[in-house]
Amino acid sequence: MNPGFNRLLEAVVRIDVREIAFEAGTRRYASSLGSGVIISPDGIVLTNAHVVSRRAVEINVTLANLERVGAKLIGWDHWTDLAVLRIDLEEVKRRDWAWEMSHAEFGDSHALYPAQVVYAVGTPHGLTRTVTRGIVSNQNRYFEDSRGVNGYETGTFNTWLQTDAAINPGNSGGPLVTEDGRVVGITSRGYLGANNLGFAIPSATARAVLEALLRDGEIVRSYVGLVPGALQDLENFYSLELAAGGVLINSVDPGSPAARAGLRGGDLVMAIDGEKVDGRFPEQLPPIQNRIASRPVGATLTFTVRRNGEARDYPVVTEKLESRVGEEWALEKWGLSVRKVSRAYARENQLEEETGVVVIGLQSGFPAAVAGLSRGDVITKINQQPIDTLEVIKTAHAKYEAQPEPTLFEARRNRRVSLYIVKP
Amino acid sequence: MNLPASGTARREKLRPSLFKLLPSPVRMRRSWAFGPVMVLMASGAPAATDLPALWAERAKSVVAVEYVTETETERQLTASMGTVIDGEGTIILPADAVDPRAAIWQLKEFKVYVPSDPESVPAVYLGQDAFTGWHFVRAAEAIRSRVVPITAFVRDGSPDAPELAELVWGIGLRHKDEDFAPYLLQGHVALIQSLPQRVAIAQQEVAAPGLPVFNRSGEFVGLAVSSFGQSYLQFSRAVSGAPVILINVEESSAFTVAGEVLPYLGRVPQHASGRPLAWLGTYGLEPMDRDVAKFLKLSAQSGVVVSEVLEGSPAEQAGLEDRDIILALDGEPLPRLKPDRVIVTHIQREIDRRAPGQTLGLTVLRGSERIELAVVLGEQPKLMREAERKYFDTLGLTAREFVYSDGIAQRIKPAEAGGVIVHYVKPSSPVAIAGLRREDWLREIDGVEVETFPEAVEQLGRIERDETRSEFVLLVRRGAETAVLRVKLR
Repeated sequence: MNPGFNRLLEAVVRIDVREIAFEAGTRRYASSLGSGVIISPDGIVLTNAHVVSRRAVEINVTLANLERVGAKLIGWDHWTDLAVLRIDLEEVKRRDWAWEMSHAEFGDSHALYPAQVVYAVGTPHGLTRTVTRGIVSNQNRYFEDSRGVNGYETGTFNTWLQTDAAINPGNSGGPLVTEDGRVVGITSRGYLGANNLGFAIPSATARAVLEALLRDGEIVRSYVGLVPGALQDLENFYSLELAAGGVLINSVDPGSPAARAGLRGGDLVMAIDGEKVDGRFPEQLPPIQNRIASRPVGATLTFTVRRNGEARDYPVVTEKLESRVGEEWALEKWGLSVRKVSRAYARENQLEEETGVVVIGLQSGFPAAVAGLSRGDVITKINQQPIDTLEVIKTAHAKYEAQPEPTLFEARRNRRVSLYIVKP
Repeated sequence: MNLPASGTARREKLRPSLFKLLPSPVRMRRSWAFGPVMVLMASGAPAATDLPALWAERAKSVVAVEYVTETETERQLTASMGTVIDGEGTIILPADAVDPRAAIWQLKEFKVYVPSDPESVPAVYLGQDAFTGWHFVRAAEAIRSRVVPITAFVRDGSPDAPELAELVWGIGLRHKDEDFAPYLLQGHVALIQSLPQRVAIAQQEVAAPGLPVFNRSGEFVGLAVSSFGQSYLQFSRAVSGAPVILINVEESSAFTVAGEVLPYLGRVPQHASGRPLAWLGTYGLEPMDRDVAKFLKLSAQSGVVVSEVLEGSPAEQAGLEDRDIILALDGEPLPRLKPDRVIVTHIQREIDRRAPGQTLGLTVLRGSERIELAVVLGEQPKLMREAERKYFDTLGLTAREFVYSDGIAQRIKPAEAGGVIVHYVKPSSPVAIAGLRREDWLREIDGVEVETFPEAVEQLGRIERDETRSEFVLLVRRGAETAVLRVKLR
């Protein structure tokens, strides 16, 4: 076997995670497993954001010598479904095995060609250190999934590698490699019920994200609020020459920087900051989105927009990109799990303000459920006080815990406002 | 997708609702073409010796009414049951006899059948009364000698309502293929409730919805309303018992008592539109439970939260605000009715019984302050059933005028209203293939903003007539998002 491949096998790990789950109106622990790959000599492991999240309370990594050590999450990015861990090197040293840490090398995902042979290594269904073989089925697959990473958005800023190497639950986070053992992708997902339709994050994306996560622990992106659509077939209608490129704006998020700047659905973006953009096909959209997202928050971008045949420049000041999924918490005395309403959630649901928390779970027979609250309700006030932050409701809950008293909730269901008494 | 499996199975308990009486969200219309086969026959023999005579006469107060709803591509036949209320052949039908989405001009070919006679008499639709919910229909003169109005069975001193435990009886009608033959139903009154009209509930079905109920001496004691759901456990070999709610749409055990029917028989609409219609202008009146009322120190009464006050409405002009809590109407504290939801119907009825221009006094709680407001009720903005529509067969859509309730559904301010709503999309038509859906809001056609209904009709008509067109482009809004749709023609 290729020595590079042997080295890679030594760097693949199994990851066992215990994480906290808030959904059931109480704090519960759930365990899951996935795969990962050691990518640097100091014990940095690359895996998927959906394998290890910020809710992880215990992470164990099984090394190639079949020994287990602890690890810590040091960076997380659901948009690209990547997470970075650091193996507890102190523990490795303490346990004094006759074992030397090996790490994998990145390959160039841009150089891949369809039908090139690739291997996936990981822990499908808990079967540690499983190697499967396939080919690159497509090296530029576009798919966005607004709930793809445990409810978080993914796929907006990158395309994916598609492979027919067998990918099963548990392969997630493991490497997709060429014959010389170079990591060209991080295996991430597959179609359930389909035959050999697996997907991986290309190494070009993984490399950039890894670097940023090692530096900052998170990736701050810029947001303008444009939802692009493919221009495919519409050039005639907009009387465009093919060479002119352009990105069709399908939708503009209400209240977003782009909306405030005057952009609308049906507009064509021809250039950003004077540089031509070409988004005729869906596959071309993620790099364009990434270009906008990579600008510093608060930067001014100039969009050259064509509307009814006339071009005009629109300056747009970017905001920080936020997930629709806000912070979660379980208020256990009430049997109530909540998630903060984020700006993105408020926009998506046409709420006038970001006040409030969404009910994501209830424990039946507990005060909140008995009072009549339901999943999906947005609790806006508690004892007449607006819930601007998660702290407000946590404080009210702590007070209730110390001295249970009837508490007045105001909640919206769709646009209907109701009052509820949560009482002991 | 290969997300690691986690989480716990959640089982939502089904909460059966006990009372789903008027106005019921379950709209059951009786379509003979598709309706279930009725298997139930009349229950036990009547006790009163004179019942055969009473029956023969009272069976003349009921009729079957059949009409056609003509939509873009089909004609739907609906049959309902009605009660004759006067000597001019006026008939009332229950609220759910007509689909509220249907435009009035789509309702056609009203026919009235006297029970057991296969020949029909033509009739005209007079409209719906907002307060009672009844639809009024008037049959041609030929019917007058063959029917007897329900008022003939009311004497001085006739009871307002039956007594609890009293035996009452009524009429059901068989299907059209049996010439709508009448049959007898009877039962004892088991319960009388305010919902908020007084409704009697018998032990079993006593009449078809919309038909009268009588006591043993043949006096009119009430009008049957749509039945309420009853919870049953369903077992099969595959699925273990899960409660299901069954509603008998053919017959009902619930009826509005005579005192809630007779005073309103004169509310024959002046126009088929049912106008004038009084309007307050609030969205989302929500009841409160006893715990909340107690917390707000409302001991023997109830309150209703106003979710939103609509812009430009009479309520807004009178100073009502979002999240005010209504405590009293014209100084009369809101009663505590059961179930809690009924109080909302109570308020709606108080509005509907009034005419535009009349004043309604509201006492509201705002924070800890009690405030008195006088609302001069307005006239309801144009309703969906009155909206203009135009069907484009080649393109495959019906464009409908944007009306006030569309603005509420789209969550926009009245000033932003405009454009047209897609009322219907013909399956597999060019617009359907392009991804257009019902209730989409058309904002632009071929890059030109649509401001009014006539403009949209003009533009769509031009596209449809132009045989050289190979495509056109729509910008539609759906919820918070817009989408550009390319429609390929030919």
